Amino acid sequence: MSTIKKMLCQFMALLYIIFFAATASAGFPDRAIEFIIPFGAGGGADIEGRLLAKEMSKVLGVPLTPINKPGAGGAITYTYLVNSKPDGYTIGWNSTSVLTTTNLGNTDFDYDAMDHIGRVEYQPQPFVVKADAAWKSFKDFVSDCRNNPNTYKIANSGTGSATHTAAIAVMNAINCQVIHLPKGIKGRNASVLSGEAHAMVAPLTGAVRLAKAGKLRILAVPTSKRNAVIPDVPTMAELGYDAELDLFRGLSVAPGTPQSIKDKLFEAMSKAANSKAFKGLAKKKGFTVDPMGPKAFTAHLRSENTKVKNIFKSAGLYKSK
Amino acid sequence: MNPEILEGFLQASLPMSLMATAAGSLLGLIVGMIPGMTISTGIIIVLPVTFVLDPVISVSLLLGLYVGGMMGGSFAAVLLNIPGTPSASATAIDGYPMSVRGEAGLALGTAIIASFIGGLFSFFCLYFIAPLLAEVALQFRAPDLFSLVFFGLTIICSFAAKSLVKGLLSAVIGLMLVTVGMDPVMGTARFTFGEVNMMGGIHFLTAMIGLFAVPQLIENLISSQAGQSDERAQSRIISLLPNLKQLSRMIKPVSIGSITGAFLGILPGVGGPIAAFISYDYTKKLSKNQQDFGKGCIEGIAAPESANNAVTGGALIPMMTLGIPGDPVTAILIGALMIHGLSPGPLLFMERGDFAYSVIFAFFWANIFNLIIALSALRLLVKLLATPKALLMPSIAILCVVGSYSLRNNFFDVYVMFFFGLLGLAMRWLNMPVVPLLLALVLGGQLEEHLRVALTGSRGDVSIFFTSPVSLLFLILSMVSIIWSFYSARKGKKDG
Repeated sequence: MSTIKKMLCQFMALLYIIFFAATASAGFPDRAIEFIIPFGAGGGADIEGRLLAKEMSKVLGVPLTPINKPGAGGAITYTYLVNSKPDGYTIGWNSTSVLTTTNLGNTDFDYDAMDHIGRVEYQPQPFVVKADAAWKSFKDFVSDCRNNPNTYKIANSGTGSATHTAAIAVMNAINCQVIHLPKGIKGRNASVLSGEAHAMVAPLTGAVRLAKAGKLRILAVPTSKRNAVIPDVPTMAELGYDAELDLFRGLSVAPGTPQSIKDKLFEAMSKAANSKAFKGLAKKKGFTVDPMGPKAFTAHLRSENTKVKNIFKSAGLYKSK
Repeated sequence: MNPEILEGFLQASLPMSLMATAAGSLLGLIVGMIPGMTISTGIIIVLPVTFVLDPVISVSLLLGLYVGGMMGGSFAAVLLNIPGTPSASATAIDGYPMSVRGEAGLALGTAIIASFIGGLFSFFCLYFIAPLLAEVALQFRAPDLFSLVFFGLTIICSFAAKSLVKGLLSAVIGLMLVTVGMDPVMGTARFTFGEVNMMGGIHFLTAMIGLFAVPQLIENLISSQAGQSDERAQSRIISLLPNLKQLSRMIKPVSIGSITGAFLGILPGVGGPIAAFISYDYTKKLSKNQQDFGKGCIEGIAAPESANNAVTGGALIPMMTLGIPGDPVTAILIGALMIHGLSPGPLLFMERGDFAYSVIFAFFWANIFNLIIALSALRLLVKLLATPKALLMPSIAILCVVGSYSLRNNFFDVYVMFFFGLLGLAMRWLNMPVVPLLLALVLGGQLEEHLRVALTGSRGDVSIFFTSPVSLLFLILSMVSIIWSFYSARKGKKDG
């Protein structure tokens, strides 16, 4: 018994020393950082986030612990983040959901309730049909759809999700009424392949493999510039329509976090984003690594927020909670 | 033979791959046994390790964990009446009574053998008819999925045979609780009372831990305070493995379970729990001695166990051939493979046929190792029963709290778990069956989602459920299921 007690004492003493040694150094960061992922394990946000966290911990010299806090389209993570201590030890892996879930009214705050470190990556959300669909081009779909309003079913990952928002934007732009089917991330691709839905709006990374395998056809991307992964697909801007909504991911922290800490985090984020491992993943999956600083990102969020707000208002989804 | 098949077999049979399979299987067994730790959690724990490993070794590790986790979940269900994974819920119905009777060894032996056969059967499905089955499953649209889930819910009738009113009430409570959180179609909050944590909805496992474990703990506390003898600790392990006669009793339930499991596994998002309950129910209905079910009979273990392991191979079919996950674990597996630049889907068999086949053979080895490891761990695990309750019960209580927290890293879920604990206690006092509530919690979300998506697609036209042949088939099966339950319940009453 006494040896156990002795060992316990030694262990406590050791912990004490470690703790004090840690608090004695003033520089940020001196302990593990929580890296909060707003979606469940195994999805795109999770895999990309975990790799970024790993690369960032190499730069910062402390572990970044990925923690999934899924639920309510990201609202649970963002609420946690807004209420966390503004010391930089809690980072949120945001996405377009920071604009969608807030504008749906799932939170009582907007995207600007947090401080934003920067954007890491983005990808377009193309308009996709089955490979044997009668529509060979986006124009075919537009004329067919205008002649048959409220007929075609467009699958998305969930009502109020980024894919649904983009689908509404595309349909508003071409002035066509469709039925939106919230099939979920798992059911979305399957519903197009089975013919249950006539088309879908999906993140590029979710559709590109099936498109390359000849099962799906990408008709258009709601962007202004062509995407390097699918260089042959025309953009909505080229086709003369105004619809653009990317799926982006970046980092946010609690409001009021000191500038020096935010600078350090941004530096680590950029280095991690440009690391060989992260760029390799981007190439494999088909998203674009393009770090954006806090100022540019905040401006981008502001303009995108107005866009999302207007799209939701047009569909009666704005603060519809 | 196709050289790629041979190459795949060799890669999956390398010493390193086999070691990874064994390690995964053992880890899965442990993770599966701990309440609140799902197979998904286990895979997430080892995922960072797989980043640096060779793809074939990573897959071997992950598949070992997948298969082992299914087994471990059943161990906890049999030994502690706390299913380690949702798929093991049905196993607890007959497994725990056997364990109380002192036949834990036999119950586990049955579970291990049934799981092995179920897993092996789904391996052959995966190997031979994968592309064919995947095409069929892909034709399931929202109305068909709704009718399938509805069919799953009709099982409630068999569990409510004693008192239909109490059974249906229990199911209705479950269906009402499912509506808490985000509306699956409109994406807006329902019954959250302004609490953001409620918006995430009630996680099925949180509810399950509360419903199963808390009343169990309280009951144990009361019995130990009353000074009752600790029957479980004193119980002897009569036998470990089923004898020939018992094995022959397993043939029918295992056949039902394997086929049901493999097919339902292929359907995206359906998963193990439904397969386990459906095969349990049908084995019971087709059995001559229905009265034994629920009191601890090996048929009641063999059916759900073969089913939940057959689901694993089934779920790999759409994942490998179409890149569409059949359950949460295969969704993570797809992610893990993508890190290595190997995207499951139609392209994989064309571009990297050797790798695709090595995945299939790694699954084969996972089943073999699971059998070996589970059988060798059996004696040790049965000893768990001999642990004094004063030590065992607090440990379980801690695991319940840790488990419900770690599911979503949200402490709110711990309160939810305790709420369900109180609900479980109340239901026990009222003699209300818990299983219908559990089924409603598992299936309710899907039921609502498919119903509403189907009706959105048809613009409110209900006829789609009858014009789609698949949907019609499942609706007819549901009717048969309900009538059958009542008929056999009445017959049982007359006989008794």
